[in-house]
Amino acid sequence: MTLRVLDIMRGTTVDGPGFRTSIYVAGCRHRCPGCHNPHSWDFEAGQEMSIDELMEIVAEEDFDVTLSGGDPLYQPEAVAGLAARVRSIGHSVWVYTGFTWEQIQQTPRLMGALKDVEAIVEGPFVESLKDPDLLFRGSSNQRIIYL
Amino acid sequence: MIQTVVKRDGRVVGYNEEKIKAAIRKAMLCTDTGEDEALIQKITDRIGMTGNARMTVEEIQDKVEIELMKSARKDVAKRYIAYRDQRNIARRAKTRDIFLEIIEAKNNDVTRENANMNTDSPAGMMMKFASETTKPFVDDYLLTAAVKQAVKNNYLHIHDKDYYPTKSLTCVQHPLDRILEHGFVAGHGESRPAKRIETASVIACISLETAQNEMHGGQAIPAFDFYLAPFVRKSFVEEIKNLEQLTSQDLHHLYDAELKDYIRKDLDGLEGEERMLQHAINKTVGRVHQSMEAFIHNMNTIHSRGGNQVVFSSINYGTDTSAEGRCVIREILLSTYEGVGNGATAIFPIQIWKKKRGVSYLPEDPNYDLYELACKVTARRFFPNFLNLDATFNRSEDWKADDPKRYEHEVATMGCRTRVFENRYGAKTSVGRGNISFSTINIVRLAIEVSNIKDKEERITRFFEKLDDILDLTARQLNERFNFQKTALAKQFPLVMSVLWNGSDKLDRNDTIESVINQGTLGIGFIGLAECLIALVGKHHGESDEAQQLGLKIVSHMRSRANEYCEQYGHNYSVLATPAEGLSGKFTKKDRQTFGVIPGVTDKDYYTNSNHVPVYYHCSPRHKAKIEAPYHELTRGGHIFYVEIDGDATHNEKSIMQIVDMMDQYNLGYGSVNHNRNHCPNCGYENADKNAEHCPKCGAKFETIQRITGYLVGTTDRWNSGKLAELHDRIVHK
Repeated sequence: MTLRVLDIMRGTTVDGPGFRTSIYVAGCRHRCPGCHNPHSWDFEAGQEMSIDELMEIVAEEDFDVTLSGGDPLYQPEAVAGLAARVRSIGHSVWVYTGFTWEQIQQTPRLMGALKDVEAIVEGPFVESLKDPDLLFRGSSNQRIIYL
Repeated sequence: MIQTVVKRDGRVVGYNEEKIKAAIRKAMLCTDTGEDEALIQKITDRIGMTGNARMTVEEIQDKVEIELMKSARKDVAKRYIAYRDQRNIARRAKTRDIFLEIIEAKNNDVTRENANMNTDSPAGMMMKFASETTKPFVDDYLLTAAVKQAVKNNYLHIHDKDYYPTKSLTCVQHPLDRILEHGFVAGHGESRPAKRIETASVIACISLETAQNEMHGGQAIPAFDFYLAPFVRKSFVEEIKNLEQLTSQDLHHLYDAELKDYIRKDLDGLEGEERMLQHAINKTVGRVHQSMEAFIHNMNTIHSRGGNQVVFSSINYGTDTSAEGRCVIREILLSTYEGVGNGATAIFPIQIWKKKRGVSYLPEDPNYDLYELACKVTARRFFPNFLNLDATFNRSEDWKADDPKRYEHEVATMGCRTRVFENRYGAKTSVGRGNISFSTINIVRLAIEVSNIKDKEERITRFFEKLDDILDLTARQLNERFNFQKTALAKQFPLVMSVLWNGSDKLDRNDTIESVINQGTLGIGFIGLAECLIALVGKHHGESDEAQQLGLKIVSHMRSRANEYCEQYGHNYSVLATPAEGLSGKFTKKDRQTFGVIPGVTDKDYYTNSNHVPVYYHCSPRHKAKIEAPYHELTRGGHIFYVEIDGDATHNEKSIMQIVDMMDQYNLGYGSVNHNRNHCPNCGYENADKNAEHCPKCGAKFETIQRITGYLVGTTDRWNSGKLAELHDRIVHK
């Protein structure tokens, strides 16, 4: 199984509690106005990486993991596969998604991706609600939901 | 008859009459009448015959002047005198230029050598004049020729060279209990033993202040919690006595009531003795809090050293588990969190959390709650830093959990990183000891000099040969300075050498300090391991395992040589990972002049601090920890591990705890977190945005806190060019 990966940040502190390995997944259709990296919308951007390859980095860094993007939930099976593996070595997974928690709950395929995920930061980015002081979020409509 | 001449630099040379002849001839050639060889010979003969056996250059010139004035050629005398004057002015011109720079309050690397110092103030200028004129005196009269040459050629830097003639020592960890229990004399006042927390905390300030003026480095308190704890109880007893007065009840059985913790609580619902006890606790906590606030405030406002700088002060704490000790720790942390004045981050004292398993680190530890608070405070205020008492090299076999003076066996650090613990001449402790002097080797230059040798093995062998030469010289230089320092009289350092320094209580004020000075350490520092490795093998230790292995070999070698010097000279030598403030640009500038721009080596305005992974290199904090950890074991004179974090640390206290976890896991000795903190002096708003210059709420200009060689500064105006370039290149570790 592979994931289309744009970038990997090792030891960032802005995508959830503690130092985290943040994996930026390519591709997003939410197209939020004011998005801070529109180049991540392209599903062909970045490169394919196998779960094994990603796990090697995750294990080396030994930090919790955040999946962001793009929107990782456009690749729910790969997210589920990676999250299970990360959890099996004792680390938590957070997922950033433009879908709302309500939308996700109505979509079994998306729910399936979150089986081993500790928390999601959900909802589209709304420029008028942007607030740089928010904890781990871009705009105030977004919520951190512990699963 | 003149036989020898003492030159201006103090060297003694054989008398050579040709020099006198040439000078007179020169003067004659500037006159209309021209030269007169017979007169030249006559004057020269007379001076040579009538002069003393040993004369200075100036004395001889005086004689020439007199002879010329007596002769018919007054025109020549005039010329000769004018020429002498010009030469004298020319000789002083360099001093003049430097003085003018200081007078005009110009910002340059002369006035910004030390970011904590305000050289614009009158006292600051006075200090700078003295400092700049002392340095050449040291060069000419106190250093040996070989050392002077090594300094001139950029191999070696002697720290605090301006203080060299004063014989001062660098720093000391204050055994505050000696002062608090017995009182002390400083300046024109005598102080009685402290009776309550307010006085104890003020006396702590005065101790740091006074000693700062007797030394050239920083001042630290090794166990702030242990020392002040007794005065928390004394203040509590005072509060009980107040209640006795108020209520006419006998409450003396409460004087030594067992208290679990000093926590402020509402009195509602409490009655009788319980209510009175809680009231006394509340009052005591309030007083301790005020005292801690006053302590911090004093350390940031009271200037020392002729008014130009605040004390380089540090306090270590975290391991006192008594209710009173915990109260001190809690209140100093809470005061620090609140900030000084309008909520600004306090620059001093540097605070250091002593992290110890079983005491102040693990969730089941008695001081875990305060450790969590410490991490929260660091996220906002950069302090406390974290000192890892569990690192193999920081442990002491003499530490016992039930020993009331166990802090004597806990390592403590000067905030800047200076570490004094091992001791060949007495107990292994940090208390009552300090560094005597330190010098730093430019290992980058040594590497550049061999970098054109094609064969790698030969190149590295040659590097080690050069390193050995300079190490030998440095050890000798430190020993020479030691031998000069030890001739100081105890009365030159009235507080340090009567109370603070171990063994000083036995000294008479007119004794020399020779019998006690060996308690201190001599530091052999180094700078630019990263650039050194790039020059040797093309890569630095953060990016190549080969470079890392070589780096470890180099520093291990320095450590084993330092151990040999201990035997050879009979002192406590140690290797120091130099916090190179004034040095970070100076070495580089000169090396670039000699060797030109070498990519990765001299292409920036600074050399990387000691053994650090370069600030410009992108890597995760874990990678940085793994790479830098093994150097901590080797650099017993001091070291620090910095992590730069992205984002707002106050949003992510867990990351601070993870840094301490990494220190625990990889055996790092001392560490700290660097991040960005903007504070609005107008509305108090704070954030961590690196690019913001103005407050987004009210538009006022932000004050941004940064760290330089361990010290925080609220403005980068006083940073020197090397340090500014390094700050610019700092990137977060991710």
